[in-house]
Amino acid sequence: MSRLSGHPHGPTEVGGCSADVSDANAPLLRIDDAAIGFGTRPVLEHVDLEIAPGQVWFFLGRNGVGKTTLVRAILGEIAPRVGSVRLFCDRGEIGFIPQESRLNRNLPTTIAEFVGLGLVGTRHPRAERGERLQWALSHTGLTGMDGDSYWSLSGGQRQRAAIARALIRKPRLLVLDEPTSNLDVTAEGDLLDVIEELQGRHRVATVFVTHKIELAQRHATHVALFRRGRVRPGRAEDLLRREILDETFERRGAGAADGAAHDR
Amino acid sequence: MIADFVASWALFRDAYLVGWLIAVVLALQGIFVVARDQIFIGAAVSQAAALGISLGMVIGSAFSEAPIDPYHAHDSLSAAAIAAAIAAAVLSTNESPRHSFEAVTGWVFLFASSTSILLLAHSPHGLEEIHHLLSSSIIGATPADVGWFAALAAIAIAIVSLKRDALTLYMMDPPVAAALGVPAHRWSRLLAVSLGTTVGLSMRSSGLLYSFGCLVLPPLIATQICRESRSLFAVAPVVALLTAVAGFVVANRFDFPPAQMTVALQSVLLTLAWISGGIRHSVRRTAYSVRDEKP
Repeated sequence: MSRLSGHPHGPTEVGGCSADVSDANAPLLRIDDAAIGFGTRPVLEHVDLEIAPGQVWFFLGRNGVGKTTLVRAILGEIAPRVGSVRLFCDRGEIGFIPQESRLNRNLPTTIAEFVGLGLVGTRHPRAERGERLQWALSHTGLTGMDGDSYWSLSGGQRQRAAIARALIRKPRLLVLDEPTSNLDVTAEGDLLDVIEELQGRHRVATVFVTHKIELAQRHATHVALFRRGRVRPGRAEDLLRREILDETFERRGAGAADGAAHDR
Repeated sequence: MIADFVASWALFRDAYLVGWLIAVVLALQGIFVVARDQIFIGAAVSQAAALGISLGMVIGSAFSEAPIDPYHAHDSLSAAAIAAAIAAAVLSTNESPRHSFEAVTGWVFLFASSTSILLLAHSPHGLEEIHHLLSSSIIGATPADVGWFAALAAIAIAIVSLKRDALTLYMMDPPVAAALGVPAHRWSRLLAVSLGTTVGLSMRSSGLLYSFGCLVLPPLIATQICRESRSLFAVAPVVALLTAVAGFVVANRFDFPPAQMTVALQSVLLTLAWISGGIRHSVRRTAYSVRDEKP
């Protein structure tokens, strides 16, 4: 169990999966009454959240409400000021896909190298690394392209490579921070197909940060609504209702939530 | 040509060794500078080191009746300290929304350029020394310098060997590196301080042109040669070493300043690498378009 708790620089325990994991439905992540933020002022307070295998969580809310801050706490980059963020699996079993990879075009890289770097921080024999690479490429439609230059890929293919870089860790928890904001509709659909397959076949839990309510309506099993420093978690069918979304996005009038879907 | 160089070895051994070691260490650190497109940080920090040397000379002369001794150790230390502090400060402005990185780099360069001269304007020996350093017209070294730079090179090579993949990811994609457990912020601070320290120390031995050239040109050449970023850590220092050796040999034979010869050689190589890289890119694009058009 990995645990981040209490103080911004409080104790961090990192280890293998705990005994709880023997139960297939045991939570992968539990956040208890956490206050999370930078400096002296917390961005989020009283956060309670529990993520179990196979769940697809969508984090929804306006800009600057703390969605990425919570993601950083889940990834272990920042510790809660009070409360706890407990991870019931190894950090090596978390995959992360950023909004975009801001690679310098001067840097040469192949798809094999780009994806393989997703294993940084883990220890695997060379043969297993090769197997994982092929597995990740096959799940993202990049099979046979491992020797190609990353810069020869289209925007959608680069995002697939970013997904493969997260998948190579064979994650039990996949965290995506606004991964579709720079994608066209086709590439966005491809990405969500991959996530659905991972959820269905491998029971990977997913945290998906986005502004796009329509994506949540189609794919979420659970949502966390962010508003004014608070997080409201729940089942998608309970929370993806117009009046709740209007309140979350602080919009008034009919169709406000639909409008919020395009608020980017 | 080689015989001439071997004949000069006894006289210039320390200078040659220090020049080559500086090339290797700076090329390794320059990979990160090139990766972040912060090329002119090298010039700014080198100039800040010159300010440190000027300051060292002025402070040294204040406590001594003797004329300014351009080879006094405290010049090197103050140069390294100021350069390290400046590098850390400049690189941290990357995260500031108030000042652009280019603006701060330009300010450092101009402020350090002017004040390093003004401080020694009434000290003919000191002013001459600063002019030598800025033009890299000498490469001077003691056996102690050889030891220092050998230690720096050993440390840099050891770190790269042990952490190559993590360093590659940190260099390519810092947010993802941080998410995967790499202490990216701590590494950035360490890199800034070590860059400033190395440039500060190398300025004293080799001057601005050589320090700046070895910092950016070998990594730029390596980016044109390599297919993967992790290879840069091997190719850039090898390019730096080979060009420095060739530059020193040719300079010795034809009686040219070695720093200028090395940097000119590196610049020519980079031009050739750009040309051949452009040709390879065109060929590859053609190959991809042919492949994509196949039914």
